[in-house]
Amino acid sequence: MADAMSCEQSADLIALDAVGALDVDERDALDRHVATCATCRPLVAQYADVVSMLPAALQPVSPPARLRRRLMAEVYGEATGATHLPWWRRLVAAIPSNRALTAAGALAVAAAVALAIWGMSERHGSPAPIAYTVSGTTAQPSVTGSLTVGTGGTQSVLTVHGLAVLPADEVYEVWLVPPHGSGSPKGVAFLSPDPSGGAWTAVVNGSLAGYQTIAATNEPSGGSPGPTGTEVLSGQLGES
Amino acid sequence: MHLTDEDIVRSISAHSPEGIEALYDRYGALAHTVALRILSDHGAAEDVVQESFLSVWRRASTFEAGRGSLRSWICTIVRNRAIDRLRGDRNRTRLDSPIESQPTEPAISDPWAAVAIELSGEAVRKALAGLPSEQRQTIELAYYGGYSQSEIATAMEVPLGTVKGRVRIALDKLRGALADLQESPWQTQ
Repeated sequence: MADAMSCEQSADLIALDAVGALDVDERDALDRHVATCATCRPLVAQYADVVSMLPAALQPVSPPARLRRRLMAEVYGEATGATHLPWWRRLVAAIPSNRALTAAGALAVAAAVALAIWGMSERHGSPAPIAYTVSGTTAQPSVTGSLTVGTGGTQSVLTVHGLAVLPADEVYEVWLVPPHGSGSPKGVAFLSPDPSGGAWTAVVNGSLAGYQTIAATNEPSGGSPGPTGTEVLSGQLGES
Repeated sequence: MHLTDEDIVRSISAHSPEGIEALYDRYGALAHTVALRILSDHGAAEDVVQESFLSVWRRASTFEAGRGSLRSWICTIVRNRAIDRLRGDRNRTRLDSPIESQPTEPAISDPWAAVAIELSGEAVRKALAGLPSEQRQTIELAYYGGYSQSEIATAMEVPLGTVKGRVRIALDKLRGALADLQESPWQTQ
């Protein structure tokens, strides 16, 4: 099939591919173009290398020592040809040495495996995302929006319309609020306006489990340890 | 003796376990950090890191230097496996014991990589902070959240073309800001 893609279009798609956001239906066309375009081919490595720098911004989290032991036991086992252990020996070997396998633990493992298999058999493609409605308070009654929980439940996007523009030294801070008496609101993100004047958005990282409400207040630039400003929106979690 | 990334690739290609050991010491913490950031689950992150390094061990000959560095190859493998797991694990039951009770490795076993990471972390944070928030959020949703461009467009209520533009502009800016780093840290040649 002829390559109908321009280098400009290709560069957009290479960048998307580098961050893992390329839609499946554009993959073939991009691969065809890159295979024959000497201009675009180096971009693949360049964008990939930029993206691989992103994790450097995260605080490194030490892997447990057992992970190295587990990995190298497997590697040395394969290197020496000791790969034909019975399945139950391999299962036991995979259990960390500091974790006792009690009868109850074994049952839990079996139950989890059964649940996982049942879950896999129930799935057909990606599960539908969950969305919660948020609405303005009396301070800003025309505000509307939604909180969309991503696949896996560890990242959500709050999208809000109708928020008033803030002075330069203030921000809208987003809070997850636990049920009354079970803790303090947790500041999780700041709402950012779309430069073109559309929706305000915030990415909320982490699970919503244990929280009852999502809310936003105006706070001094940089945010506050707890809500101090006027609540401008809220939404109940658990009622999608 | 200090091994370059090329030394490590050669060692793994020769099916030497020491090559994987060196690779893990250099990039194991990076891999674990990426997996944990995506999955927010210590047990699942460990599984993904183990599976990723084993896949490298089993198919090191598929590494193509022209498509990026060894670091970016590892990051891509770990990120893709973690996102796959994220998409498939909604019913996951946590079986792992608390991470605090487990002995840990030093964050980075390879001192060359440790110095490089310390130097690069601040620069990358600064470069990311220099992006407009909508570009930063778009990158974050894609890379750590596993959102496709269509899903990002829906979630952020912007046209697909805007998502494309934000990603490319953001990466171009980061490429410019991190040009010096790409020549050295995390890629100890």
